[in-house]
Amino acid sequence: MFFAQFVVRRLASLVFVLFSITFLTFIVGYLAPGDPVQAMMGAHRDPDTYARLRHEYGLDRPWLEQYTGYVKGVLRGDLGKSYRYAGRPVWELVQQGMGTSAALGLAALAVSLVIGLPVGVIAAARAGSTFDRLSMIVMLAIFSIPSFVIAGVLQIAQVTLFKAGLPNLPTSGWGELRFWVLPVVVLSGASTGYMARLTRSTVLETLDADYIRTARAKGATPGRVLVRHALRNALIPIVTVLGPSVAFVVVGSFVVENVFRVPGVGFIAVQSIGTRDYPVIQSVTLLLALTVVLMNVLADVAYTMLDPRIRTT
Amino acid sequence: MTVSKSNIPAVLTGLGAAALVMSACATPVSVRTVVVTAPPGVAPGAAPGKQVLRWALEGINEPSTLDPAKASDAPVVFATGLIFRGLVQLDAQLRVIPDGAASWTVSDDTKTYTFKLRDNLKFSDGSLVTADDVAFSISRTLDPKTGGGSSGNGAYYLTNILGADDLAGGKASTLQGVKALDPKTLEIKLKNPSAYFLYQLNFITGYILSKKNVTSGDKWYEKPVGTGPFVLSEWQHNQKLVLTPNPNYWPGAPNQFKSVELVFYGGDQGSTTAFNDYQTGQVDVIGSFGQNPIPSQFVPQVKDQPDFHSAPQFVVRYVAFNNKRAPFDNAQVRQAFAKAVDRSKIVQLLGEASVRSQARILPGGIPGSELPVQALDFDAAGAKKLLGDAKFDPATKVVISYGTEGDNAKVLELLKQQWQDNLGVDVTLEPLELQTFSQKLTDTYNDPTKGLQAYYSVWGADYPDPQNWISQQLRTGVGNNNGAYSNADFDKLVDAADVEIKDQAKRLQGYNKAEQLAINEVGWLPLFSPNTSSMIKPYVTGLVFTGQGVVIPDWSAVRSIERS
Repeated sequence: MFFAQFVVRRLASLVFVLFSITFLTFIVGYLAPGDPVQAMMGAHRDPDTYARLRHEYGLDRPWLEQYTGYVKGVLRGDLGKSYRYAGRPVWELVQQGMGTSAALGLAALAVSLVIGLPVGVIAAARAGSTFDRLSMIVMLAIFSIPSFVIAGVLQIAQVTLFKAGLPNLPTSGWGELRFWVLPVVVLSGASTGYMARLTRSTVLETLDADYIRTARAKGATPGRVLVRHALRNALIPIVTVLGPSVAFVVVGSFVVENVFRVPGVGFIAVQSIGTRDYPVIQSVTLLLALTVVLMNVLADVAYTMLDPRIRTT
Repeated sequence: MTVSKSNIPAVLTGLGAAALVMSACATPVSVRTVVVTAPPGVAPGAAPGKQVLRWALEGINEPSTLDPAKASDAPVVFATGLIFRGLVQLDAQLRVIPDGAASWTVSDDTKTYTFKLRDNLKFSDGSLVTADDVAFSISRTLDPKTGGGSSGNGAYYLTNILGADDLAGGKASTLQGVKALDPKTLEIKLKNPSAYFLYQLNFITGYILSKKNVTSGDKWYEKPVGTGPFVLSEWQHNQKLVLTPNPNYWPGAPNQFKSVELVFYGGDQGSTTAFNDYQTGQVDVIGSFGQNPIPSQFVPQVKDQPDFHSAPQFVVRYVAFNNKRAPFDNAQVRQAFAKAVDRSKIVQLLGEASVRSQARILPGGIPGSELPVQALDFDAAGAKKLLGDAKFDPATKVVISYGTEGDNAKVLELLKQQWQDNLGVDVTLEPLELQTFSQKLTDTYNDPTKGLQAYYSVWGADYPDPQNWISQQLRTGVGNNNGAYSNADFDKLVDAADVEIKDQAKRLQGYNKAEQLAINEVGWLPLFSPNTSSMIKPYVTGLVFTGQGVVIPDWSAVRSIERS
């Protein structure tokens, strides 16, 4: 009962957030300088075609009508038509990239968990050791160096390998597994570093707790103490961070997808920004906002499920 | 095409076999062609059927369409030219030669062309091509109901066909000037005699489409049927187009290929990514489109490599002035600004391997460019004097606008410096996003009194004829004449030359005199002509670089490497 109330309240706030985002992106597109129909037509001056295109895109209607039309369309699943790719539905363009972005993002997240968690746990278990100090420095480094710098370095490395006649990885494109390596490595870098450091600190904190001392006193092996008692509690903050982490990965993919020419949503988004393709920009923004909000809701839900002590109001 | 069309669209492919049929054709274009042949010791190709050629399409991430009636970006034009073809094509010397049409005759008044289609001409799906298909295709490209209209490419290139403007403007529902006399014969009537009609027909708006294919649905171009050397076998969105040989290609399918991949490299960093991919062996040809060469910062490191190719192109970058707004409504002011520019500094800035100085309108190699023109040479003292004579107020605010891409900012900074040093005028630079810039050009055309004062732009030839450079740029009122240059004598000269068919020498003289007028009065301030800057893997042979871009005269002679 209580839980259901909580979920409903959170979903209601989601609706509010989405409305605000659609309104904001719509207003930005509406007020921005430049006439998209003029841009579409290029140098040709033909008043009849101009009028026809304006009507087709609904640009001759008052702004409130345009906005409500847009929202109604969104609820129906119609995200409007692209300016750049004359007449093509935005949904079709965006949907082409969604699968790719999801795959890339999930792979990067998986890598960051698979590497970050164990490193953090071991570092915490051996707090103060060389492994701890060294690994945390490395994790800090990959967290702070911008992804496009790492990407650039890796690309130069590939060129050098190729020139030396050694096997190398593709520096752009998407397809079989070998195309995945560089983009996933770069995209997972920051999250791995963050996960490792966070895990280390939460595990350390947990290891200080009373019940851990009790477990040790009872004679539990260090391994059992770690895994059965400490980890479960240490993971709660990790779970809460996973929500925003997904969002981070999605946004981070803007850079990675463009540097490595991966045809995902981030790629399409940057191209549409460059060509002032407002319908696509609006839709991508909406999509990203939706993802971020949903992931946060899920994280909150998971958090309350994991820790019954948490009372959410 | 102007900047606002976003790319130089005229990359034309051709097949060389038959000799010239038409005496009224333009004289052969003499331009230094770079023919890429296999160096000695390298086996030109492996067994047929397994070769893969990967060609970079820089500048786009995804073609908005493959419909020849609508495509205008150079890379997309190139792609359509591999799938579709028309009645005619160009050979390695950029002369018009037969393609879908086996031969043609011209009436005595030079206004009626009669084309005979090849007997065995088939679409890639095996169906026979008839004159009706050709008539349908041309009509479709003009008809506003099928997406043509007076602002389309069709109206631009085919305007000289009788009734074309009426159809495009919606005043007629059929195309008066094109008629299928029988299934293998097509008659085209022109409004005015024209020495370059066949060149205009060669462009993609003249490609032959299959009525059945085009009417099969909105996205018919995802399964296109044409008469070109290849068929589209896969369209990987935002990635590449995969083409395979067309078994029904009339000279014989280029079966040495397993596939030709056209890989998209769009966005600001597209050319850089393409360059990196070339370095890691992922793509075989880069920088083949004039507007998207290899980024200039990489040229010094590769210019001595054998796989680097730099060829002249029919492209000129220039400054134009608004002739209807102060201060440039005064010819002396324009001349002063022209004479204050030292082009050698621009060449130094951008690299001798990349650009050539250009002081006249016609680029070298275009017919007529062998006739000399007296250019306004660099003369700082003379420039200053002219400015004084014109009583130019040094406090006048002068703004020059340009689109931000490539090396434009660098060039404009240099010009600003030169005008400051040599004239004492502080010019304000106005960098604009490409779309905004193109819009402002349109606004300037529509109302010069409120438009830009001066702008920096580029023109790339649609076809190798002086008409495309002289009449089409600077005649009073033409679409590209955004600066509203106007001279009644110039107009008289070009109007006469445009319709002169019989006497080629007289025609070129006419354009030459007009060009001199325009140079004297600074209709354009031409600055430089960029070379193509491309790299081609040594195992790729059979490509020819002309002023008009890459021409592939014979696909059966093209080779690449085998790939699994």
